[in-house]
Amino acid sequence: MSMLSFERKYRVRGGTLVGGDLFDFWVGPFYVGFFGVTTLFFALAGTMMILWGAAMGPTWNIWQINIAPPDISYGLRFAPMTEGGLWQLITVCAIGSFVSWALREVEICRKLGMGLHVPVAFGMAILAYVSLQVIRPVLMGAWGHAFPYGIYSHLDWVSNTAYQYLHFHYNPWHMIAASLFFATVLALSMHGGLVLSATNPGRGEAVKSPEHEDTFFRDLIGYSVGTLGIHRLGLFLALAGVWFGIVCIVVSGPFWTGAWPEWWSWWLNMPIWRS
Amino acid sequence: MKTSLRLLLATLVPAAAALLSGCERPPIETVQTGYRGTGMEQIYNPRTLLKQASLNQAPVAAEAASADGPKAKDVYQNVQVLGDLSVAQFNRHMASITQWVAPDAGCAYCHNVENFAEDAKYTKVVARRMIQMTQRVNQDWKPHVAETGVTCYTCHRGNNIPANVWFAPKDRKYANNSVMGDLAGQNLASKSVGLTSLPFDPFTPYLKDAAPIRVNGDTAMVLRGDAVNRSSTKQAEHTYGLMVHMSESLGVNCTYCHNTRNFASWEESRPQRVTAWHGIRMARDLNNDYMTPLTDTFPANRLGPKGDVAKVNCTTCHQGAYKPLYGAAMAKDYPELQALAKP
Amino acid sequence: MAEYQNLFTSVQPVGPLHDGVALPRGDDKRLGTPFLVHLLGRIGNAQIGPIYLGTLGVASLLFGTLAFNIIGFNMLASVDWSPIELIRQLFWLALEPPPPAYGLSIPPLAQGGWWLIVGFMLTVSILLWWTRTYRRARQLGLGTHVAWAYAAAIWLYLVCGFFRPIMMGSWSEAVPFGIFPHLDWVSALSLRYGNLFYNPFHALSIVFLYGSVLLFAMHGATILAVSRFGGEREIEQIVDRGTASERAALFWRWTMGFNATMESIHRWAWWFAVLCPLVGGVGILLTGTVVDNWYLWSVKHHVVPAYPLVSPTVLDPAILGAKP
Repeated sequence: MSMLSFERKYRVRGGTLVGGDLFDFWVGPFYVGFFGVTTLFFALAGTMMILWGAAMGPTWNIWQINIAPPDISYGLRFAPMTEGGLWQLITVCAIGSFVSWALREVEICRKLGMGLHVPVAFGMAILAYVSLQVIRPVLMGAWGHAFPYGIYSHLDWVSNTAYQYLHFHYNPWHMIAASLFFATVLALSMHGGLVLSATNPGRGEAVKSPEHEDTFFRDLIGYSVGTLGIHRLGLFLALAGVWFGIVCIVVSGPFWTGAWPEWWSWWLNMPIWRS
Repeated sequence: MKTSLRLLLATLVPAAAALLSGCERPPIETVQTGYRGTGMEQIYNPRTLLKQASLNQAPVAAEAASADGPKAKDVYQNVQVLGDLSVAQFNRHMASITQWVAPDAGCAYCHNVENFAEDAKYTKVVARRMIQMTQRVNQDWKPHVAETGVTCYTCHRGNNIPANVWFAPKDRKYANNSVMGDLAGQNLASKSVGLTSLPFDPFTPYLKDAAPIRVNGDTAMVLRGDAVNRSSTKQAEHTYGLMVHMSESLGVNCTYCHNTRNFASWEESRPQRVTAWHGIRMARDLNNDYMTPLTDTFPANRLGPKGDVAKVNCTTCHQGAYKPLYGAAMAKDYPELQALAKP
Repeated sequence: MAEYQNLFTSVQPVGPLHDGVALPRGDDKRLGTPFLVHLLGRIGNAQIGPIYLGTLGVASLLFGTLAFNIIGFNMLASVDWSPIELIRQLFWLALEPPPPAYGLSIPPLAQGGWWLIVGFMLTVSILLWWTRTYRRARQLGLGTHVAWAYAAAIWLYLVCGFFRPIMMGSWSEAVPFGIFPHLDWVSALSLRYGNLFYNPFHALSIVFLYGSVLLFAMHGATILAVSRFGGEREIEQIVDRGTASERAALFWRWTMGFNATMESIHRWAWWFAVLCPLVGGVGILLTGTVVDNWYLWSVKHHVVPAYPLVSPTVLDPAILGAKP
């Protein structure tokens, strides 16, 4: 079997949310569970529809395949399959499979006696997807505002959507989100580097201790957040980055229709320095 | 509630209010301008549109005057333009100009009311040239103004000076004495480029001079020798500043003309881009052939900080609408403004 | 369900503060008496200080502060020395590189000369700081992984501000020092070179950027989820695998079919984070030196999707012989 050397003792029954013992088993290394079945269903259905959409299109070139949402003229109605309806069904399957995946993670956490931090964190990513493909289009009155499914075509959507506001970099929430993303990458490199530097100290050196880790960062910048703190910080930076990313795009359109640089006029025109 | 919670709310609520104060609300209007899913859309706040519409009403045209009777140049003195109109038509035109440009000051804004023929006031000299300018736009710039055309009202809107004209920007106070702080023509919050820090004078190089606007090459790889594309990243900033101005002037975004995945391609652009191309050339024509030669005619208080004359840019006519006055056809009621007189 | 999630530390034991692992001979004494900040202790360690400031650190701070001040004073000068305008327009202000006309020659002080000086000083400061991160690790008997990760970031910084401008023959191609102005540079670069989304190195760099955010969310959450088993004691768990590492590994194995170990996850982390600026720097370096238009490059390599045309055909008026 594909079990790790220590795995057998952990494979116990229990932790399920739905279905009891019915789907409480593994296939190879994968845990199934009720939500494994629903994941499989949604993922397979969604993938089939993506393949169908590709077949309807002009190419099988993976970079060029594009499955587009309906025209804005369809509003929030269901569109014909060849005119964006397929996109709509794929989106339903995507949300179904993402939520199923998250709930499956919950079942696995419960079985292993772990906290639920991972599925909750994943929930933020699902919220980002749902905000882009459901919440914002609903606020703007049409499914056609969502991004298409295609490797390069979704980037064309990003480019055009951003330029709808002339200079998207001036979106203050985008600025915060980008800063948090870059801070996350910085913190990840520092954390990965620190742990590896303590456990791989180089020829002739013994493996070091957490005191060495703390001392390194205190020597370097006067502060060390510590072994527990860095994981809280990393999770926070990552989730906050995604959160502000959600805010920055949901605001663009429903709550701000102008150019983003113009938003800053409130600051420039504050009474304290209005000339 | 606990003091710490109270403190938190006391700081967060005003902060949130400040951040949200610049916000609008749904529902909003959108217009798709490209293939579905490409994100090419115009976005409008219907409440803003309503206000815009009320500010962009064309005045009612004066009742048409009879073409019968002697010509204006035979009855009045010093009539250098519009002389072939009948007296009635000429007077109608003068009444309209007064309403469009000087509703408060009346005839006295341009004329010495003791002697209407006199050119003593500079405003009369300017107005004469501007009538010719209007005729020029309507006759020779149809690729931009089509059959809708323009009248004095399109720019002036009842003001002596149009609300949106441009001058060469003034230098910093200590520009000549300081070895620090060179702005390099950008890096200030400037209304002219929509509050970005892009170069704040996109008008002199592109709407007066004929500096190249395009920065993209048409090959994938960098070429060597003569064929190399010498445009710099800095040049792209200058072009970007012009484009921000154009977008803000028309109340549209970049996807009105372009598919931003490939800005340069005309095949992927919309027809509106061709109209804009002609608009840029038209602005150059008006600034160089009509406005700049009038520099010495204006008094000092009408000139810019560098002593240059007021010039036109996209906002001068468009004033936030994709077509000035949302396409209201005023010029059709003033045939005398639609062609330059034969010499 | 009032289960404690270990997001904030509720009880902070306070004892004698740790002065740090002893440094070998040759190093200076550490600076400052360590003190505690209770609010900080709710998230991580409460202790601030001591800090080590040796020759490298002091020199780095000196050059860095000088660079920062030159930027600041130029910004102040650019608004005619008004402190109010400095604050009001801070985000818009900048210290600009020389204009394109000067190529790679030394320009006048007022027109890019200060930028060159600042660029030099900031680079010296950054490189001195890099040496500091290397040395501090070595002096404590640690590996130098943090320093080499920092090197990847320095690579991107030097590409944008030094290598690429030199290869392009013009300092003007470099990035200005300023909040909005450096964002304008980003947009302008993409506009000039045919849309950077179509630069495959840019795309890959974004994969590693988003991937790093994904990984830190995953790793941070995983460790917090097994912190009840001491999962955050990662070094201990690496050399002597405990139930925390076992459950963490099995969570991912059961979820996605494979897993890392307590050590290898930190290698995934290090490489994802390092590859973001590394690959990104390559993509920037190729822009304008090898590739002039990334969209057209992508067309050449058959990756550009086609859309049905919805507008009437548009032709370039300039080549139609229309009035110029």
